Amino acid sequence: MVLQIILLSLLVLFAVMAILLRDLIKSAISLALASLCLGIIFFRMNAPYAGVFEISVVAGLITVLFILTIALTRSEGEVRESKAALIIFPLVFIAFLVVDILVMKSLLHRVPALPATPEAAGLKFGEVLWKQRTFDLVGQVLVILAGVFAVLALFRKRNKDE
Amino acid sequence: MSSTWILYMAFAAVLLGVGVYCLLAMRNLIKLFIGIEVVSKGVSLVLLATVCAKGNILLAQSLVITFIVVEVCLVATALAIIINITRHTKSLDVRKLTKLRG
Repeated sequence: MVLQIILLSLLVLFAVMAILLRDLIKSAISLALASLCLGIIFFRMNAPYAGVFEISVVAGLITVLFILTIALTRSEGEVRESKAALIIFPLVFIAFLVVDILVMKSLLHRVPALPATPEAAGLKFGEVLWKQRTFDLVGQVLVILAGVFAVLALFRKRNKDE
Repeated sequence: MSSTWILYMAFAAVLLGVGVYCLLAMRNLIKLFIGIEVVSKGVSLVLLATVCAKGNILLAQSLVITFIVVEVCLVATALAIIINITRHTKSLDVRKLTKLRG
């Protein structure tokens, strides 16, 4: 439990660093570290498949995409963030934290316990992923296709006569 | 089992808050997108935490995997849009995208 709280705090810390750091490469890397923490949390929550996807896809692939974009847009110069936003952040963060703790504390005994739905014995992850869910997987495939076509359309070369 | 998921919800709410603050306050397009990523981390934590309370971990995992796939498509498309915007406006500043303002 203590380790879980430490991991969750690290996750929040890296997320805050990703937002506050001025260097974009450093913030992309701290975002990857946050994903790594989230993946380890998933492993400790007994969800290894989600953890593997989180670490390999989100911490790996998305970081590569971010760094590629930063490298491609680096020549455009830095954007000056407003100083007020960075100064106000700690105040907003602490206020939000206090409200969050109060709300969750008040929710703790009011939310009725959810009825547990025990899983059928011997059911495997693959069966749940492929057999219990059917049509939304088609949607998932379509989302990937739409993403591929969107990127292709965005990088389309102009015709010579345009 | 009883109160653990409240802990996850509390941390996920912090992630959501930090991400929304980034979306409201920052000006760099890539920073804004990092904010969206932080929000999506909070959402996947909530997805796994709530279903953990019911004990149905396999369904939660498949939902999280679906969410991650959608997230990757979102990232690829949005980063392509950001590259195109920077080629047009020669800047990563979101305030320069005011051409559509009436």
